[in-house]
Amino acid sequence: MAERSLSQRREAEQEFDRTHRTSRGSTLFEEKLDELEPIFYPKSIAVVGASAGSIKAGSLWVHTLVSAGFPGPVYPVGSRGGRIRELEIFPNLRLIPGEVDYVIVSIPRQSVLELLDDCAVKNVKAVQFFTAGFSEMDARQGYMLEEQMLEKARQGGVRIIGPNCIGVYCPERRIPFLMGRLGESGSVGFVSQSGGVAGKLATTGIARRINYSKGISFGNGIDLDASDFLQYLAADPKTDVIGAYLEGTRDGVRLFNTIKEVARVKPLVVWKGGRTEAGAQAAMSHTGSLASSGAIWSAMLRQAGAIEVHSLEELTDTLLIFQQVRHWQGANAAIIGGLADGGGGISVSAGDACTENGLNVPSLSSETRRELRKLLGEVGSILRNPVDVSQSQFRGLPTLFQAIDLVTRDAAIDVVLIQEDIDILLPIYSQKGLDEINQFFMELGNRQNKPIIVVLPPGSAEPERLQLEQKLLAASIPVFCSMERAAKAVFNANMYLCRHRNKASHTKSFELPLQVRSDS
Amino acid sequence: MTKSQNVLTEVESKEFLKRAGIPVVATKLARSKREALSISKEMGFPVVLKICSHDVVHKTDSGGVRLGLANAAQVGRAYSEIVSSVRQAYPEARIQGVSVQPMAPSAVEVIVGMSKDPQFGPVLMFGLGGILVEVLKDVSFRIVPVSERDARDMIREIKGYPILKGYRGQKPASIPALEKLIVKVSQFVEKNPQIEELDLNPVFAYPDKAVAIDARIILE
Repeated sequence: MAERSLSQRREAEQEFDRTHRTSRGSTLFEEKLDELEPIFYPKSIAVVGASAGSIKAGSLWVHTLVSAGFPGPVYPVGSRGGRIRELEIFPNLRLIPGEVDYVIVSIPRQSVLELLDDCAVKNVKAVQFFTAGFSEMDARQGYMLEEQMLEKARQGGVRIIGPNCIGVYCPERRIPFLMGRLGESGSVGFVSQSGGVAGKLATTGIARRINYSKGISFGNGIDLDASDFLQYLAADPKTDVIGAYLEGTRDGVRLFNTIKEVARVKPLVVWKGGRTEAGAQAAMSHTGSLASSGAIWSAMLRQAGAIEVHSLEELTDTLLIFQQVRHWQGANAAIIGGLADGGGGISVSAGDACTENGLNVPSLSSETRRELRKLLGEVGSILRNPVDVSQSQFRGLPTLFQAIDLVTRDAAIDVVLIQEDIDILLPIYSQKGLDEINQFFMELGNRQNKPIIVVLPPGSAEPERLQLEQKLLAASIPVFCSMERAAKAVFNANMYLCRHRNKASHTKSFELPLQVRSDS
Repeated sequence: MTKSQNVLTEVESKEFLKRAGIPVVATKLARSKREALSISKEMGFPVVLKICSHDVVHKTDSGGVRLGLANAAQVGRAYSEIVSSVRQAYPEARIQGVSVQPMAPSAVEVIVGMSKDPQFGPVLMFGLGGILVEVLKDVSFRIVPVSERDARDMIREIKGYPILKGYRGQKPASIPALEKLIVKVSQFVEKNPQIEELDLNPVFAYPDKAVAIDARIILE
């Protein structure tokens, strides 16, 4: 992390300009696609550190790949030989008969240099080290070993992922994380410095129907790091939106420039871990004493045009909204509560949640309100915004649907957030009515351009709620478990789109999953 | 008291900044009481006197600053008092003299500074000046180089932004002048990588201009 002088920094930036900015017209960072192809689409994988009948990580990796149905050959490697999942365990990487693109390594760190020699001989393209115990643990010795690994890898033409990481997740190529679910292949890519966060992001995402194109955990990132993988995902035609969990960087200038370029072409949502570490060295200026690492990261992300989030939940919420929503107009939100009953307080607090998280909650037009009054009556309704439509319970579902339709059509409204509490709806409408209501939401979402967002708060009917959530998610409706989280995600998406709106109209490579309205 | 020769004096710092086109209040070094008097007369009263020494970082704390000196007699007395109280506070300090500058009319006070981040290199900071910066930490940062857009964002980002816009009948500060100053500081820092830290504190933000009243540059 040695600091670079300004002249070096300038050179680095100019170099960056030469290699990337000038190559506009073709895809940004296009060269990364070929460079990292063997990592995300390996033809064959060897797992070093596997043994018959043990639950060592290497063996688990073999099980994971075989169970997921990785379409190429999987070669277990382990000194004691034997068989695992019907596969012969080779005592040495060099003894594998076929070509090996990608190697997953789970052996003690004393043996990694020798292994890299084997990889070079075998013409391996990339090695992922699950093995830990390097610079993250023992600063000086670990750092030295990493330097030696890097040197060997460079000489042998091998790329390194890690060490101390869980590597690649690519559902399209049927590669899950270690012991992870495969999930469906989709349009959300992510990078993570931490293996634990990467795994959790994959599982919580899959549970919410976030479909990933690729995920990567790069650990200590001694060779390929966040910048490389962000550049790859920016170029990857399968990826529309990118998430990242980062803790630190060995090359801040490159990371800053990369994020700036990547965020120009695809929404980039970043969660920075370790924000609260004690501030920098004793400083002699006010500026120095105030410039904590967390504050600088936040400023860097904002300056580069990325979206900063502060938790795993906010990261998945924001990725979900980018995946689900195709048309975006702005952050003027209508809030609809009390679909059957209990709408007053909930609507008021939902309004607070939206306003406090930066959304605008404008009054509906007088015409909309007049229509709503005709439809629902004055008593027991709130018709300004938030809207309490609970009086529709006495007039039937068509009235409820008409009311929601009216609110959605209002010209002041860009996005509709519906608070749906099935603890209230089920007793009044039963499962059949509940299905009908949600069928209407899905149709409404399809037939017009304003995002329909559903908030399903947890309660006493969890199985039914989870089932409903899956159904709505499958119909491209973003679902959240609280209005706060929904509002925050809407705000984040809107921030990104406002910032990049001007470029959308004239940059050809700017193909968002979200279509930005050009007239505002 | 700090060890270093690396801290430029206010006079040196401002000279540097002035050459880079960053507006600073005119400041001259007086090596004697007599020089202080003649410079004061030349500049016009009221003036401000400050201790000028590489070894004194906290000028105010050691009694090294006198504001609003309205005539020759006050300047003469202030000169002696500054020198003697700094001698008391920092017996080993090498004193070059006292800086003299015209007393600037009051305005909204802001701070513009630079420090180096171990990961991202030079970073600029903007915030409301004076006590507010220390207590409320209402500041914003951007990585150098700072573009005009970045400068605009960092001014609007602070909570105290309405104060700059003119609060309760106060005159508004010129936001374009502040933006320009921030961009100039960014360019200055880029051209001078040997600068380790920098504070323009305070900068007086007037309705038509922004001027650095005090400045400190720390070299590597």
